[in-house]
Amino acid sequence: MTFTRRSFISLAGATAATASLAACAGGSGAGAGASDGGDGAIEFWSNHPGGSKDLEEAMIAAWNEANPDTPATLVTAGANYEEISQKVNAALTGGRLPDVFITSDVTWFNFALNEATTPLDELWTANDVDSDDIVDTLREDYLFDGKHYGMPYCRSTCLMYFNSDVLAAAGLPTDRGPETWEEFAQWAPALVAANGGKPALVVPDGSNYLDWYFQGMAWAFGGAYSEEWTPTFSSPETVAAGQFLKEQAAAGHIAVDANADNTFSIGGASGLLQSTGSLGGLTEAAAFPFITTFLPGPSPACPTGGGGLAIPAGISEERKNNAMRFVDFITSTENTITFSQGTGYMPMRKSALEHADEVAFLTENPNAQTAIDQLAANTASQDYARVFVPGGGARIGGGLDRITIGGEEVATVFASLDKETQDVIDRDITPLLP
Amino acid sequence: MSTALSPAAASPAAVPSAAPKALPPTPGTQAAGEPPMNARQSARRRAISGDGGSPVGRAFGYGAMVLTALVFLLPLYFILITSLKTHGDIYSDPISWIPDPFAPENFSTVMNNLNFGTYLRNSIIITAILTIVEVTLGVLSAYGFAFLRFPGRDLLFLLLIGSLMVPNQITIISNYSMVAQWGWRNTFAGIIVPLAGVAFGAFLMRNHFLSLPTEIMEAAEMDSAGFFRTLFKVVLPMSWPTVSAFVLITVVTEWNQYLWPFLIASDDSVMPLPIGLTQLQNSEGMTNWGPVMAGTIITTLPMLLVFILLQKQMIKGLTAGAVKG
Amino acid sequence: MSALGIPGIDRDDAIPDPPRRRRRATNWRHAALAAVLVLPNMALLFLFTYRPLIDNIRISFYHWNISSPRMTFVGLDNYTRYFSDPESWQIMLQTLLFTGAAVIGSMVIGLALALLLDRALKGRNLVRAVVFAPYVISGAAIGVAFQFVFDPNFGLVQDILGWFSIASPNFYQHRWWALFMVTFTYIWKNLGYTFVIYLAALQGRRSDLDEAAEIDKTPPWRRFWRITLPQLRGTTVFLSITVLLNSFQVFDIIQVMTAGGPYETATTTMVYQVYQETFVNSQAGYGSAVATVMFVVVLIITVAQARLQKEN
Repeated sequence: MTFTRRSFISLAGATAATASLAACAGGSGAGAGASDGGDGAIEFWSNHPGGSKDLEEAMIAAWNEANPDTPATLVTAGANYEEISQKVNAALTGGRLPDVFITSDVTWFNFALNEATTPLDELWTANDVDSDDIVDTLREDYLFDGKHYGMPYCRSTCLMYFNSDVLAAAGLPTDRGPETWEEFAQWAPALVAANGGKPALVVPDGSNYLDWYFQGMAWAFGGAYSEEWTPTFSSPETVAAGQFLKEQAAAGHIAVDANADNTFSIGGASGLLQSTGSLGGLTEAAAFPFITTFLPGPSPACPTGGGGLAIPAGISEERKNNAMRFVDFITSTENTITFSQGTGYMPMRKSALEHADEVAFLTENPNAQTAIDQLAANTASQDYARVFVPGGGARIGGGLDRITIGGEEVATVFASLDKETQDVIDRDITPLLP
Repeated sequence: MSTALSPAAASPAAVPSAAPKALPPTPGTQAAGEPPMNARQSARRRAISGDGGSPVGRAFGYGAMVLTALVFLLPLYFILITSLKTHGDIYSDPISWIPDPFAPENFSTVMNNLNFGTYLRNSIIITAILTIVEVTLGVLSAYGFAFLRFPGRDLLFLLLIGSLMVPNQITIISNYSMVAQWGWRNTFAGIIVPLAGVAFGAFLMRNHFLSLPTEIMEAAEMDSAGFFRTLFKVVLPMSWPTVSAFVLITVVTEWNQYLWPFLIASDDSVMPLPIGLTQLQNSEGMTNWGPVMAGTIITTLPMLLVFILLQKQMIKGLTAGAVKG
Repeated sequence: MSALGIPGIDRDDAIPDPPRRRRRATNWRHAALAAVLVLPNMALLFLFTYRPLIDNIRISFYHWNISSPRMTFVGLDNYTRYFSDPESWQIMLQTLLFTGAAVIGSMVIGLALALLLDRALKGRNLVRAVVFAPYVISGAAIGVAFQFVFDPNFGLVQDILGWFSIASPNFYQHRWWALFMVTFTYIWKNLGYTFVIYLAALQGRRSDLDEAAEIDKTPPWRRFWRITLPQLRGTTVFLSITVLLNSFQVFDIIQVMTAGGPYETATTTMVYQVYQETFVNSQAGYGSAVATVMFVVVLIITVAQARLQKEN
């Protein structure tokens, strides 16, 4: 027995006589029948990532100047990615859908899987968007079943931050980080000793996306959370990475903390594993010089993250095409340069990286250069078990809490992660896969 | 059982010897023929209601008050100083107790970078309308539940209380799809109407009405005073402290509504303050909490003002009663 | 209905009607007036609370991904899954602990503060405002402010414990300390509510009883137990129900302070679980099942509580 959602929800609402008539008209899909066509105006739902409201408004003003027939409006659709996706889901039940919305590394797939967002490939072709100019890793992050469901927008990666003063005091190089996690383990005692016994590295805990940061460590050890739809937590390599994390935490080399940025910025640890998004804040907040480095390899040892732009499936072709032209505009070479310099996110066009303005900016800001170099040299797309399986991030984060702060056996915890992940895949994913 | 449930009935013997024919003396009303209190009587009233107590008792009272103030003020103090700190100064070890440098510009950041005036206006519109509607509906339905006998009353009252058990996380999707179909997305009506039903206040007021001396209602009934006369001349004058509490809680609740207005509002024209202020938070990386705390303080101050005004009202209820008794 | 024992429902027993009224089956004047007074409010509650609740119960029998246009009937699958998952029971236990502590804590302290600040003490107006202030402040701001209290590196608590050479627990990382932390913060934030309602009740109560007690020279403690507390009985019943129902719905404090963790769910309560399943994991059918279970649990507790209070 299968219902379409709109008719189903309105069924119960039939007590309200006004609602029942409208409900019969729709029912064909996620879109709201009445607002399907739109009026040429483009609604962009954003959470202004990285404090970018002014930048977004400026880009929209420029767009509106050039495209008076299809003006765009900026809608504050939440304080974070979860809230945007909540609002989009509400709109899918029968409100006016946005034309473009921001969707995070963990939320885009569910929209794509349930055909709530539209594949962009045909829109790229139809609107002369040069998709080859998009940085390859960032573009391929949105690949599902041979099609792309998102355009990179506010994209970040992990970074290592090291307190230069402590590196110097420990007699370690101050121009690079450890190249492997084994090298980190060798450096750690010196870093701890040079900084009054404080941990060599602080990482956010399981409630604060440790699952994202640890993913790169698992890769560096040759492991992964999953190979496509097969969970691989129990593979020897992944377990070895977990074991390493556990031992380093027990030895006091790595601290797991709810407020990792702040602990690092007040000198509570010599190093920090965090997002590129923290760079701006730390530059203001830290009272000491620090360097940024790649995550220890071998490569790839660093996941990307952040948000992209998606276009709903339930709007008219005309709206989709307008939306695509708008998306192309706000991610244009010039705009991605302005946006990334203003927020700390990555420029998402290859042409932007060669642009004279960007080259000059990066020369002055070597810490921003690190992230871009790393994007090319050290990143890969995330594992399905974290970003595509519902509840993946929180589930893995909780498991990592159990081994770091709970001291449980890595093999046991990872075996249970395997099983839980497989159960969810079987129940919620497999029936929907093409 | 009867004595247990109704405070008014708890000690029937203590009810003053009210003549059943005339309205008994009630707080806030001056019944005809009631002798005014002499000075000694009112002094004693004050002593009792104020509870001066022994010097030891007073010292204990002040000690407890200082302790309370400390427990509450410390975290509040952090909100205040954070609003005056620069990004780099917010976290430090040990904690810095005085902003250095002093950063009042956090407040101008909030005022200048956001459509603050618009959000404030929207918040006032939404809160004012909701408060008026909810208090009216609450008092009226409480009156019905407390003083009138009608078929289905007990069932309806159970349903009223039962609605307090439904969290808004489970009502929003269904309500959204209905309200959106009415075309009420991004309108004040869409924000206000679904929030206008009142269960808490009706429950509160009904409980209070039941605690009023029964003789009053009977007397009013015998007087065959109309509904409005009974409500405004008899019932409400004895209820201001509770009504004030009802108004206060309602104002605060509606002022702080987040989830529902967040879903319905899509631009500045109807967006209330709590949603407008989320723009200050950084969804990835480090949020600079200075401006966020400044925004919080600016949002909170009007509510504290409402509290101070209304708590005077609550005290007035007392003093009026104490003087006229 | 009166068997359910919702306080005050049985008012007919407590307050006898005049004899002439008792014989009539229905007083139509009353009924007509009641319809005008009660129905508009009830209509709003039915449309915007009970209609969605019924929707929710229906959805709980379906498998529905919230982003999908399709829903599939699965019978009791969502409920089987809920009751066979040990995590569900753990979360229910946490919810009950949180709620119990919140109800008892905020009522006892709220009454104590109301009694204290009802006395003629200088400066009480200021302290009243201070006690009420947290109730007004957004959960996000409170969460940040309490970092300065509970942070294991630079928080106040570790400072104070340090004076006595006691190592501070890591409130964010210990299963039970984390639950303690969010419970404490919740009580602290919401004391203003019980305080104000109790204060209003104290202001509105009839002082002739106190006066009689004063003349009798009853000692203060006995006066409290024998006179004040019985006078506040209606308020106490009211508060115990509303605080219970409110604390069951705690959301923002947990969201901001711990995001339900550590260990994924150590500070997750049932409403937070509903939110996570529905809006984060997109499993709206399962989320609805959790919500329905929660509604039933709350209903049972409320009725039991009301009965207990009636028996006393």
